[in-house]
Amino acid sequence: MNWAILSGIEGNLTAYEAVLQDIQDQAVTDLYILGDVVGLQGDNEAIIQRLQSPRAGELEPQVCVGWWEEQCFSLYGVSGLQDAPELMAKVGGDGVKTFWKSISRESVRWLRSQHFGFHEQDCLLIHGSTVSYADELTPDTPAIELCDRLIRADANHLFCGRSGLTFECSVTPVALRSTVTTLDGVQAPQDCGKTPRQVIGVGSVGRSPGQATYTLFSPENGQLAFRSVNYGQP
Amino acid sequence: MQSFDLTLVAGPPGVGKTTWISQFLANPSRPLFYLCPCAQDAVDFARIGYCFPWVSIISDDQAADVLADLPDQAQVFIELGFHMDLGSPLLVALPGRRIAIVPPSLDSSEWHNWADEVIPSPNQQVSGELASASGKLPTIWRSPLTGQVFDPPSLDEVLIELTGGAYGQVTRLKGIFELPDGQAFYVDFVEGLPGIEYTELKLPRWLEGRPDRFSGLEIVGHNLEQKTIAQALLTCCLADDVLLQYQRQYQQLQLEDETVAAETEPGVVA
Amino acid sequence: MKLAVISCIHGNYEALKAVLSDIEAQKADQIYCLGDLVGYGPYPNEVVNQIRSLEIPTCQGCWDEDIVEGLNACECSYPSQLAEHRGKLAHEWTNKEIRPDVREYLATLPLSLKRDNLCFVHGSPNSQHEYLLPSMDGFAALERVLSTDADVLFCGHTHVPYVRELADAKLSVTVKSPARSDAPQQFQATLKRIINAGSVGEPRHGRPNATYVLYDTDTAQVTLREVAYNYTKTCLAILEKGLPSIFAWRLARGMEFAERADDPTHVCER
Repeated sequence: MNWAILSGIEGNLTAYEAVLQDIQDQAVTDLYILGDVVGLQGDNEAIIQRLQSPRAGELEPQVCVGWWEEQCFSLYGVSGLQDAPELMAKVGGDGVKTFWKSISRESVRWLRSQHFGFHEQDCLLIHGSTVSYADELTPDTPAIELCDRLIRADANHLFCGRSGLTFECSVTPVALRSTVTTLDGVQAPQDCGKTPRQVIGVGSVGRSPGQATYTLFSPENGQLAFRSVNYGQP
Repeated sequence: MQSFDLTLVAGPPGVGKTTWISQFLANPSRPLFYLCPCAQDAVDFARIGYCFPWVSIISDDQAADVLADLPDQAQVFIELGFHMDLGSPLLVALPGRRIAIVPPSLDSSEWHNWADEVIPSPNQQVSGELASASGKLPTIWRSPLTGQVFDPPSLDEVLIELTGGAYGQVTRLKGIFELPDGQAFYVDFVEGLPGIEYTELKLPRWLEGRPDRFSGLEIVGHNLEQKTIAQALLTCCLADDVLLQYQRQYQQLQLEDETVAAETEPGVVA
Repeated sequence: MKLAVISCIHGNYEALKAVLSDIEAQKADQIYCLGDLVGYGPYPNEVVNQIRSLEIPTCQGCWDEDIVEGLNACECSYPSQLAEHRGKLAHEWTNKEIRPDVREYLATLPLSLKRDNLCFVHGSPNSQHEYLLPSMDGFAALERVLSTDADVLFCGHTHVPYVRELADAKLSVTVKSPARSDAPQQFQATLKRIINAGSVGEPRHGRPNATYVLYDTDTAQVTLREVAYNYTKTCLAILEKGLPSIFAWRLARGMEFAERADDPTHVCER
């Protein structure tokens, strides 16, 4: 098995095509897209259609929702807060209008039917973290927070896409003395796991013009590779 | 003349009558018959049928005909609930071995007088006291639940409450419950014995709509708040849409399991 | 200075009165309350009045929030269909019972309170609905304390009191990326504590007694208090006021009105 894990297409069809091309040479068995398939810059309708109908011989993409999809749901009032305050803060009124016009109601419905995340083997694949779609994990996130996200994910590998960066953070809980006292007295101490676990940023397909990044992972042997694909004008 | 064995088993609730009989039903080498008068639709009937499909279960109205025309070597077990009058002419007229199972602490009782053989119950803590402090005989409350599928954590909770006395004093509880993964469980509780026993019944998983096989609950006790019990049980049952959703998930899982099993089977070498 | 921290009163006025007199006898200087003043119990208005008249600093619990905002707890926060059904009955009853000024007061409650190196929340710093169970992974528990910048985190919501010390925490992190490859970074934390105040009005430690905690800010000493009170009064009021009678049965056994969610870290996908 060999997974290709993508995120952050953000409506950038050219970038997605370039990545699909690159994937063809990698003996990939599963294609995961960790949210943000739509965005402010690209052609959102075109990318949704492309995802909905893969061509003959192409893998069926498995899509979960990301930050931009959640903004879309908020705008259309199908979940979360009304009127997308987060989006308003990020792109302003004109941006909100442009974004609103770029996606049809049918597409919103389709996006809404996509997954929350994927739990496969000992991996969690998700846009932010189980805390929130907006949870942005980076190599600079405090160690205890990374550790917490891994515990919450109940996984040895947490793949996420919110930051748009490609990185691998290996977190090892080395030591902790935990003592619990209840009404019945001091309780037996808890075992604290010592094995390292990984938070992996899978990169971004469409956020930086001209350069797409994504991740390859083989769950059997834990082999991880970051791919960078240049496209467009040389 | 054809030969057959007839065994009558009696005793107070919870001593293990059905369990004692079950040891003989496990061996299908002879034609086996089971009869529990006045217990139509009861949990024991269904449990015997589910666990020992080769046993012929005789309903009250067939009893006379079947008993009159038993095959050679037949073994017949008649379980007599505590509510049966052991002195009734019908029972007295029956030939056969009379077994009473009684709590070891009980020295004399109508069961002792009636029986050819008295077996001490393995359930030490069962009192054998039928009447409550007020001298009232316990009531039996039966509720057929066929077609109902339970939310598992809700069922656990309501059984803890029931057996803990939240809806009246329960001395005995037995039930067959269907769960959303398609499995059916036999649940057994005897007042004085620790815990509630759950046994998975070896039945095909029912994952297509509401199960069309018997499930139900039987409670023996005092001052049972029957209406409240029924309400609480219904609150634990799954609605159509929820059940459908569960069944889809379990069908999917079953499909995946089968695929994995097929993939891991060794290939045939020509 | 001696602090008394109380939580999860749930409209149980009898229990609150008993705890307040115990606090007086223990000569505490200041009381803090971690919310859930209402819900399940028969005297929501009286409990809020008492807390207000004593000007006890209080943070908002999940039940207080639901009464203000309308029932918005996601269904997955209930452990079972039965618990959800009962939770809704209790919510509807409380919603009808409470006075407008009480609702307004509950709306003003903050999600957390700070005092020097102490932080007070209902569930966890993340959410009023999250359970900080004593069995939670130590590093995850530590993250909750660190996120508040406090040394001691007081919480409630689980209804079972405990003190947890988290000492000598060490983590190591290695970053690899196309842009950088750092040497392993070590992370260490000094001693942190989580103190769960238990529940005044809805205990679930298996006895009907109310629980709360005392904390000495000078010596950092914690005392878990268990206070007996006349719970039959509350049980009778539950029946008289038309709340489900099962609440009274559970309260008298220290079983809580509805059992808590099995999976405290469960994430709502709605």
